[in-house]
Parts: sequence; C-alpha cells; structure tokens
Amino acid sequence: MPPALELRDVGKVYSGGVRAVDGVDLTLEAGEIHALCGENGAGKSTLAQIAAGKLAPSTGTVTGAERVGLVHQHFELVDRLRVWENVVLGREPRRGLRIDAAAARERVRALGTAYGLDVDPDAVVETLPVGIAQRVEILRELAREPRVLVLDEPTAVLAPVEIDALFATLRTLAASGTAILVITHKLQEVVTHATRVTVMRAGRVVLRAAVHDTSIDAIAHAMVGGDIPALAARATTVPAPAFEARGIAAGEGAHALRDASFAVRGGEIVGIAGVEGNGQSALTDAIAGILPYAGTMTLGGAALDGRDAAARIAAGIRTIPQDRQSEALVLDWSITDNAALGDHTRAPMRRGLAFDRGAARALATEIVARFDVRTPSIRTHVGALSGGNQQKVVVGRALAHDPALVIAYQPTRGIDVGAAALVQSRLIEARNAGAAVLLVSFELDEVLALSDRVLVLFRGAIAGTFERGAFDRARIGALMAGAS
Amino acid sequence: MLLTIAAAAMALAGANPLDGFAALLRGALGGTHQIGETLVATTSLLFPSLAVAFAFRAGLFNIGAEGQLVIGGLCAGLVGAALTVPGWIAIPLILFAGAFGGGAWGGIAGALRARFGGNEVIATLMLNIIAALLANYLVVGPLHAAGATGAETAGLPESSWLPILLPDTRLSIALLFGLALAGLLAFVFRRTVFGYALRAAGDAPEAAKRAGIDLPRTALLAMTLSGAIAGFGGATIVAGVLHRFNVALSPGYGFIAIAVALVGDLDPLWIVLAAFAFGILQSGSLTMQAFAHVPKDVVTFVEGLAILALATRRFVAPRGAAA
Repeated sequence: MPPALELRDVGKVYSGGVRAVDGVDLTLEAGEIHALCGENGAGKSTLAQIAAGKLAPSTGTVTGAERVGLVHQHFELVDRLRVWENVVLGREPRRGLRIDAAAARERVRALGTAYGLDVDPDAVVETLPVGIAQRVEILRELAREPRVLVLDEPTAVLAPVEIDALFATLRTLAASGTAILVITHKLQEVVTHATRVTVMRAGRVVLRAAVHDTSIDAIAHAMVGGDIPALAARATTVPAPAFEARGIAAGEGAHALRDASFAVRGGEIVGIAGVEGNGQSALTDAIAGILPYAGTMTLGGAALDGRDAAARIAAGIRTIPQDRQSEALVLDWSITDNAALGDHTRAPMRRGLAFDRGAARALATEIVARFDVRTPSIRTHVGALSGGNQQKVVVGRALAHDPALVIAYQPTRGIDVGAAALVQSRLIEARNAGAAVLLVSFELDEVLALSDRVLVLFRGAIAGTFERGAFDRARIGALMAGAS
Repeated sequence: MLLTIAAAAMALAGANPLDGFAALLRGALGGTHQIGETLVATTSLLFPSLAVAFAFRAGLFNIGAEGQLVIGGLCAGLVGAALTVPGWIAIPLILFAGAFGGGAWGGIAGALRARFGGNEVIATLMLNIIAALLANYLVVGPLHAAGATGAETAGLPESSWLPILLPDTRLSIALLFGLALAGLLAFVFRRTVFGYALRAAGDAPEAAKRAGIDLPRTALLAMTLSGAIAGFGGATIVAGVLHRFNVALSPGYGFIAIAVALVGDLDPLWIVLAAFAFGILQSGSLTMQAFAHVPKDVVTFVEGLAILALATRRFVAPRGAAA
C-alpha cells in the first residue's frame, strides 16, 4: 500500500529570503499517529501548510496533499454560524435551490457518533467552549473524508482530561485507516500517544524515530540542539505580605472573573493554573488597572481600588502582558524608547517636561546586557527582533525597577527553550529578591515548575489551592476541567 | 513618478507638458509678487498640515482641519473687527481667538471620541459641514458687514493687520509663526514626555494603555490642540491676508493639508518643505492655466493622486508586507 502522504526534499523560502523549511522528507502511513516536534520557528507550521496543499513548496514534491485535512491552531470557524453550517460550508447538500439542512444535521450526527465527537449540530459556534469548538473544526475536516489529518498544536487550549479525549478520538480515526500528523511541543503527549516522531530544527529534520525507540530527553535534546539550560535556584525566602485581592469580579460573558480572593506575598510566585478563557485576562487586567472590577485590592497595605493604571505602576505593579507585540511593545520604536514605556512619567526618564533619552538608553543597555537580548544595537526597532528577544525586552523592562508585584501572563509563550529558561530564571530571581510574582500560564508544567503556590481557576472562580511540596498534578488537572 | 503622471495628464489635456511645468514655475516663483503669493499659500497650508500631523501622531485622523480653520478664522474676524485697541494688544488676542475657536471645534470631536468612543473621522467630517454652513449663515445674515458686497464680516482696523514680511507682497509674519510652530512641534515629539506619550498612544494604543497612558484624555487633548493649530492658521489668514473674515477664506486648505502632512511623513520639518511644494502648485496653477492652457484641475488631480498613493502606502502596504 502506498503511503498516505509523501513529502520529498521539500523546501520553502519566503520572500525576504527566510528559509523556513529546508530539504525535508516526510512519509505518513495509513493508521499511524505521527508527532512533529520542534521549537518555535523550526518550520513545523510551514510544513503543515505545505502538507495540506495550502502553501506551495519552493522546491521538492508532495504526493497526496489533495486528501489532507488541516485542523488549525487558531480555529477557522465562522463564529456566528451553527455547527452544521460550519461543517458543510462550501459543500452544502442541496435540495433544489435550498440547502438540505436535515441531511446536513444528520451527517454531523453520524460523524460525531462514529468518532466520539458529540456536538449539538444546532449550537452556534461562538457559544461553544474551546474544546467543543475544536471538535467542530475536526468534524469539518472529517466531513471531507481525508486520508490524512494534520493537527497544528491541537492541545494548546485543552485541559488534561480533554487532551486524553482528543487522543482517544485520534486513535479511533487511525484505527479506521486515517494517517494522523500531530504538531506539538508537549513531549509527554508524544511519548504517550504517538507511534512515530519527527523532530525539526531550523527548517531541517534532525531526528526521526519510532516512539518506543526514543525518550523525552532525546527528543528535547534534538529540538534544542543541546542541553536545556537549568533554571535559577530557588532561594529560601521569608514571604512578607504584599498583594491581597478580596472578592474580585471583573469582565463579562463567558470569560469573566466571577469571584477571586487570594494573596501574593513578597518572595513567592503564585501560579494560576487553568485553561485559557477561565477569567485569567479579566483578573490580570483588573490588577493592572485597565478593567473595572468589584471587590478590593491592596498592595503593601494600601488600597488600590479606584486607582488607574498609571497610579498602579507608580505603586510598583509591573506587567508582562500576554501579547507582547500589541500590548507591551511599540514595534516601530527602538529598544531605547520601548525600555522607557510605563516609566516615562518618572525620573530618571522624565526631567521637567523633557523626556531624557539618555536615561532611557542607559536602561536599554542594562536590559540588553542582563537579559542577553540579541540585537545589533539599542537603536534597533523591536519589530525587527525575534519573538524571544522581544519578550526579553518586555520582561527586562518589567523587572528593571525592583517591582513590588509582577504580573506575568504566559511569559514564555511562543519563544524558544533557551529564551524561556532565561525568562523563567529571571522571574525566580525577582522572587528571591523579594518581589511578589503572579504567574498566569496555560502550560501546567510551567506553573508547577515555578510556583510556590498554585491556584486553579475555573469559570472565573478559584477551584483549588495547592502549596509547593503538595502539588497533585492529577487533581489540579481534574479541577482545571471542572471536577468538583 | 508623480511628475510623469502630471506630464501625462497635461498631455491628455492637450498641452505641452514642458510648457505647462515652465508656466507653473513662472507663476509660482517668477518674481517677487509670485514668490510672495507662493509663500502666502505655503503659510496657509502649513498650519492645517501641522494640525493634521499632530492628531495623526496621536493615532487620530483629523479630517476636520478645514472646519477648524474656518471657525478659527470666524472667531478671529469677529474679535478683530470689534477690537479698537492698539495692534500689539489686538493681534495676540485675534490669534488667540482663532486658536480658541479651532480648539473648541476640534475638542468637540475629541470629546465625542473620549466619552463615547465616537469615530473622529465621521465627527470631524460632519463638523466641517456644520462649520461651513454656520459661517455662511452668520456672514450673510446677522454678521454681514454693512455695505459689503461679498459674504464677509466688517474689516479689521489697519493697526490689527499682521506686519508684512516681504515688501510689496501679501506675505505677513505669519510664515515665521508657522516655521516656529513646526520647530516647536518637532521638539515636542522628540524631546518631551508629552510627545512621547502622544506617539505611544498613536503607534500602539494597547501598549500605551497598559503603560498608564490615559487614551481618552489623550484623544481629547490631541484633537483640541490639533484644532487650535488649524484655528490659529485661520486667524493668520484673517489678520494677515484678508483683513476680515470671508466665507471664501479657504479654497480647501484643510483638505490639501492631509496630503501635505502625509507627503511630509508627519514630521513637522519635512511638512514645511511639503507645504512649500504644494504652495508652488497652488499659486502656479492659475498661470499655468492662463499661459500653457493646462486646466488647473490638473493640479487638483495630481494632489488627489498623491493622497491616494501615500494613503495606500501608509494603510495598505503594511498588511501586504506582513502576509
């Protein structure tokens, strides 16, 4: 039997000369679950687009792309349409001039039953939780009867229990003869669920193995091209009262924060574990002073309520926002001018009415040195830096002025392992030095690795609290998915 | 590029492009009188252009410079005609009245944006129409100067006229005010905390908000100051050129200003050069029409193309490049 999909010597050079994929061979056999791993920028997503025929390779050949279904990392669904409308979109069953809605509903139900993907065909997509919306995205691809299903980072938005359910579905699909390609950077999933693994680094394949012949360490080593740097050591701290929140409610709709009471003391990292969309954004925006809230907050004993973002920055609150490109940086500006943002109203950046660019330069130089920002100059526009280096600027700025409280929202999202380790180490050092750190991350491993205390956030409320030394991974995972 | 298109347009209009350009330049720079008129047009364009650029830097598209110019001119004309004090007192008051009127007019759009999130493009567009009709009504109706043939208010006493800069021309010291303002704005953008915050709000509003910059307040302030700059410009036309308010105060300076600001890349110092270039087009176009038989609409056509080309580069190209 010929392979379900075959890529031969495939290369892709983007305009601008970036070689995203370079001479890759990849063969998918019917019935296998194949994991594709690599760091950000390794070329995984580009390869997935080529495999699905959405992107033409610059060199090489692809055989079988016409029967490939692609499940996107950011779902490509029409939010305002119903589930069945999304599934049949573009190939609607017809009766005369009208869409045969009954037939379409029946098709969605039949597919759902066959693969354990139960969804109400009449639900409107925008009302569905992320995990269910993903099922719709998968159903839409399955309705086209693909021989190969490619999933780009499908578990990034799922709770542990949902991840298990997804892979159960994928195993059913594989058993029925579909070849599955799963792109992921979570190596535990690879060794648990996949049959074969291919690792890419800088556009090339650096490891190809059957999963039972390899290990997490070997895969990680191949991804990074060396050893993963160790994290900074945790010093023993004597936590002192710093930030306290009581009965905070903020935002509206499904992603609102309903009720959160907790403290973050100086010298400790409090991690918020939870699946995206359970109130994390509302919580951090409320603390930063850019979203109105009910309840009370204090920092160092002083009330924060009613104080705007500028006053909170002055009080020592610094944020590492979730989207560095739009929420943290001005991409057209130099590192120097970005370094001052947020502190531009205080000495040394402000001198009377004047903006002291010399002071900003000194700060930028310090950040570049301490955070190993790879840049030709501090005059370089931050938009020209890689994601990891942009994030180092953001984190460096947040930690530069001995903050009382640091809010770190997905501080290592989308950056390579080396940069991530550096960012995590600097957060630990800030904690060691007495800062209160509130960490929000959708990667449970990151939360567990860094936190002194873990709070589980589910549907806008705190569902559980765990102290370091008594972390119960299974229990935390269950609470993230809504167990009581 | 634009020159080539301009030449093609002249050829289409049935004229020799070389004759056309020669007549254009002769009309704009061919003598003291012509240079004076070109600099008058430059000055009249410079203020609204700086106004547009100022708002643009804060992320606001003020297409209401025309209305702010007219209201500023109207306020200056009313105050100027009513004052009988010596010039050194009257002139600052007249100019202030213009800035105040324009600032209030721009501030309305700013307040709508700050309070209700209203789109400033639509607000300023509507305010342009209101300004034109209001001015028209007032000068034809209640404020019409007794005995005047045109739609204009009573004249300013000669002591309140802006001093002439270039003898035997209509060029007043308003040009110096404009150059000083351009220098001041360049300094504000580059060297002050206020300019820094303004640019942050314009270049990355989400990041600015998280850095403690109050976006609604910035919008109100930027639109008010932008309007004040345009209104000041209207006052200089009244006190320096017309010596009264007339409904024909502006042949669309506030709209051409958008092109000037974009050609000048929103940089106050480049805008001075751009305003001069557009001043040449404005004042030379009549000569071109008279002697080379090129319709002066060719100038309008080329200006329109310039706006289209620059707006495309600024608003459309980045997305294409990112794809």
